[in-house]
Amino acid sequence: MLALAIPIAFALMSLALLLNLWRVVRGPDLPDRILALDTLYINSIALLVLFGIHLDTMIYFEVALLIAMMGFVGTVAVAKYLLRGDIIE
Amino acid sequence: MTLSLIIFLPLLGALLPPLFIRLGRTACAWSAALLAGTALAILLYHSPAVFAGETLVFTQPWLPALGLNFSLRLDGLGLLFALLILGIGLLIILYARYYLSEHDPMGRFYGMLLLFMAAMLGIVLSENLLLLLVFWELTSLSSFLLIGYWKHRSDARQGARMALAITGGGGLAMLAGILLLGHITGSYELSVVLASAELIQAHALYPVTLALILLGAFTKSAQFPFHFWLPHAMAAPTPVSAYLHSATMVKAGVFLLARLFPALSGTELWFFLVAGTGTATLLLGAYHALFKHDLKGLLAYSTVSHLGLITLLFGIGTPLAAVAGVFHIINHATFKASLFMAAGIIDHETGTRDMRRLGGLWRFMPHTATLAMVAAASMAGVPLFNGFLSKEMFFAETLHAGWMGEWSWLLPLLATLAALFSVAYSVRFIHDVFFGTGPRDITRKPHEPPRYMKVPVEVLVALCLLVGILPAWTVAPLLAAAAASTVGAELPYYSLAIWHGFNLPLLMSLIALAGGVILYLLRFRLFALHDRIFPLCDAKAWFECGLARTIAVSHQLTAWLENGSLQRYAMLLVASVLIVIGTSLWGTTLTGPVAMGTVDGVTLTGALVLGVSALATVIWHRRRLAALVLLSVVGLVVSVAFVRFSAPDLALTQLSVEMVTILLLMLALYFLPQHSPAESSTARRWRDGLLAAGAGLSVAALAWGVLTRPLETISGYFLEQSKPGGGGSNVVNVILVDFRGFDTLGEITVLAIAAFGIYALLQGLRLPSPTTDGEGRPWAEDRHPLILSAVSRPLLPLALMVSLYILLRGHNLPGGGFIAGLVTAVALILQYVASGVVWTRERLPFDYIKLTASGVLVATLTGVASWWFAHPFLTSTFEYVQLPLLGKFELASAMVFDVGVYLTVVGSTLLILANLGKLTLVSQPHEETK
Amino acid sequence: MELLVAIMIGLLTACGIYLLLRARTFPVIMGLTLLSYAVNLFLFVMGRIGESQPAVIGVGDGQYTDPLPQALVLTAIVIGFAMTAFVVTLALRARGELHSDHVDGDADPRGPGA
Repeated sequence: MLALAIPIAFALMSLALLLNLWRVVRGPDLPDRILALDTLYINSIALLVLFGIHLDTMIYFEVALLIAMMGFVGTVAVAKYLLRGDIIE
Repeated sequence: MTLSLIIFLPLLGALLPPLFIRLGRTACAWSAALLAGTALAILLYHSPAVFAGETLVFTQPWLPALGLNFSLRLDGLGLLFALLILGIGLLIILYARYYLSEHDPMGRFYGMLLLFMAAMLGIVLSENLLLLLVFWELTSLSSFLLIGYWKHRSDARQGARMALAITGGGGLAMLAGILLLGHITGSYELSVVLASAELIQAHALYPVTLALILLGAFTKSAQFPFHFWLPHAMAAPTPVSAYLHSATMVKAGVFLLARLFPALSGTELWFFLVAGTGTATLLLGAYHALFKHDLKGLLAYSTVSHLGLITLLFGIGTPLAAVAGVFHIINHATFKASLFMAAGIIDHETGTRDMRRLGGLWRFMPHTATLAMVAAASMAGVPLFNGFLSKEMFFAETLHAGWMGEWSWLLPLLATLAALFSVAYSVRFIHDVFFGTGPRDITRKPHEPPRYMKVPVEVLVALCLLVGILPAWTVAPLLAAAAASTVGAELPYYSLAIWHGFNLPLLMSLIALAGGVILYLLRFRLFALHDRIFPLCDAKAWFECGLARTIAVSHQLTAWLENGSLQRYAMLLVASVLIVIGTSLWGTTLTGPVAMGTVDGVTLTGALVLGVSALATVIWHRRRLAALVLLSVVGLVVSVAFVRFSAPDLALTQLSVEMVTILLLMLALYFLPQHSPAESSTARRWRDGLLAAGAGLSVAALAWGVLTRPLETISGYFLEQSKPGGGGSNVVNVILVDFRGFDTLGEITVLAIAAFGIYALLQGLRLPSPTTDGEGRPWAEDRHPLILSAVSRPLLPLALMVSLYILLRGHNLPGGGFIAGLVTAVALILQYVASGVVWTRERLPFDYIKLTASGVLVATLTGVASWWFAHPFLTSTFEYVQLPLLGKFELASAMVFDVGVYLTVVGSTLLILANLGKLTLVSQPHEETK
Repeated sequence: MELLVAIMIGLLTACGIYLLLRARTFPVIMGLTLLSYAVNLFLFVMGRIGESQPAVIGVGDGQYTDPLPQALVLTAIVIGFAMTAFVVTLALRARGELHSDHVDGDADPRGPGA
């Protein structure tokens, strides 16, 4: 079962990555890009967890954890920049 | 061993006189004389062995891999020169004691003089040619200092610079020549080189080698066309002129000719180069000497002429000519040094050296006049004086020069002509100064100099007479020893008698004497003629002009390369790297033997995302915020790539650094224009694009070349020893904190220094804050949106817990101080973003500078602690401890080190970001006070 | 796989160098960041790429990647951040002193924010 599910999941994740890329590049506006970046972070988390299941190892999960945290901070900071320009006031 | 003392005593002694000057001028002179005297005593102690025909060699390896040894050699030639250097040096020390005035810094003078003496002794006693070259350059340098001794005089400075430029340039040529010589013979030791004459002269590089070495010798010995520096070096104090520029340093060139005589001489090329240069110099010097009105100028050109004579003798290349050359070196040193000292006395007592103002000094200083007359007679080659003997030998040798064919009459003719001028200027030196009318326009009444100032002149003049009258009883053994080691073979028969019967050389001498006197009587007409013909030939002006042009060209080159444009520098840098890589990669097989791995779809997708976002960053780089978003996509994919290729530590680090970098760039972007103006021309963009493409291609080619070759790694040791030696299973972290802990200590220090530098750079910086965003819209009113602060605050303890977890497990699983520090810093920065500087500083009152410093301190102390247990710096240890509840766990000293890393990273990152964030506080104080 | 990695490193280098040659500080800093990605990747793959395990003892079958380039790159990343931060600060300082963000420090004729 897993042997079938993992390749399908990888294919779907790749498709999602490409779609994210399309939005990041196309825009058309900055908020579009920022949202796409945020989604890209989430997709990467999923990809890494999938990769861990595929290799049957937990060693990469902290990276996924860190992406989650960094992705949040990054999105917050860019959003703040759009709103106020100055991110640390 | 004591041989090296001969050099080292004066060298160390160079420091003494500047100290002894505090005890008075006489003590200062004594300190200098004592050292030179001791060196002379050591030399004399060794001399019997040399007279017995031995060659003393002392070898101490210095840089044997380069062929450079501190090896010394004392043979006849070296002994002769060392005697001249030390003997005349002692007389000069005595003379200078009275010559230098109260205002001249005497300690400095003697110091430099002894330095020169040591360098000169080094040249003549070196067995190793590279060592000889070191001393050779040292004489150029000390001569520069001595010529420029009166540094307030511009002619002294110019003369010093000219001498250094010419002799230093010749030294460079000689270095190349000596390297070639070493290449040909396989050794730089003289004993090997001198024995390889056939090998050298048959070698294809012989002409180049010879020309380069001769350049060094000719510049040093002021041979035509490099002769002009010597008259300008006469701006030096007279003791220096007498010592360096007549007796010793200018003889270094002819010494080199004598030293390498067995190895290089005897070919047609040698004859035409050396004898040709010598003849030209002999004539030119003799001619110019007659027309100089300055006493020292006359002597300088006369020295040039006599050096030409010696060069010519070595150029003739027969053993007898070499004997005559060595003999003339001795004679010239004695009579020329005494003449210089006499000129110095006249200058000292009358205040002028201009022969048009001097005259009739016989009445005031008969003693000095007598001494000068003897020396001048020797210079002119009058019988019964030593100059006559060597000049006779010289005439005899010009008659026997080979290679001239049917032109063999030319050399004796030119020699007689030069001797004729030599007699004329010698007569002028005596008659214009001591007899006739005058002196004119002299402010003081001349009188004899202090008693001891004349002693050195008396000693030298006595030598002139003794050698001239009783050559076989005085100079013969020394000359035989020196000439034997010059020729390097059995000496042919020669006689040092005064009377050889009526023969051609005697006739030539008589013609020269009579013709010289006639020439002197016609001098006023000749002066007028000379002034009409030669007003334009000013070698100094040419030199200065050439120098100025060289400087102008290098200014232009510098201005072209260094026009102040960073863009230009970056372009040049990339272009030159491209050229270097391109030329070295050209024509090599790039692809190695290792087969490629297969590409899977997800990796390909990742690569696509990476490539497109990197290109998009470049394409939209002028819309800065959009480019920044794209840049963070690149960073994210790079981190994921690290995971893909099994480097979780790197992925963690890259992610955290990526985030702080983006925060940093956004902080900076606020104060910068939101868009870059389109200012690059199309041509410029094409050029940069091509450069970038070239750089990308070569890096890709390099990476491809390496990746397809098998790996030879040294990591096996680290993998094996990580657990038993370092007590951790995460090898990357164990390498960082244990195996290469010292490197890491250096790196966190760099990080801390960078952070402090940034802190200092931001002090007092005021920047205008934009009031609207890039599209001209006003900023939002809400400073700290409620939702943002509400979500961020609970995140802090969670994030801190994660970072603590990452820090503690780092030794065994991916993580460690660097990553944990960055995570903590990001978590704290989030509070700054969400709630502002003021709010956060109230709750985080510690000082980031102290935090950073304490981190470096903790890491260093961990290293120092191992000293307590008598282990080297940063030796780590670990222990398993059993704790209730938690069970068995491991404590390693490397973990404390990692805590130091952690603290440094947290402190530096916060120091950087928080201070950048505070810029708005200082820039808009009125808004922040409410 | 090796070819793909080499091409990607080359592409990142090219993008970095192109931005490095721009006239304004901000693109130059972005170029430096791109270039340091490229350099870090380059150094990292000197330990070769493969299907081996992370260099953590006890995980997997004992076929580990080369830990040494990883350790070197790890510190390089952190030092790279310090360098970027320093250049950013320098750019800000130059902006403050010279009223221009041109890398040659020329006074900007269009005025701030142009």
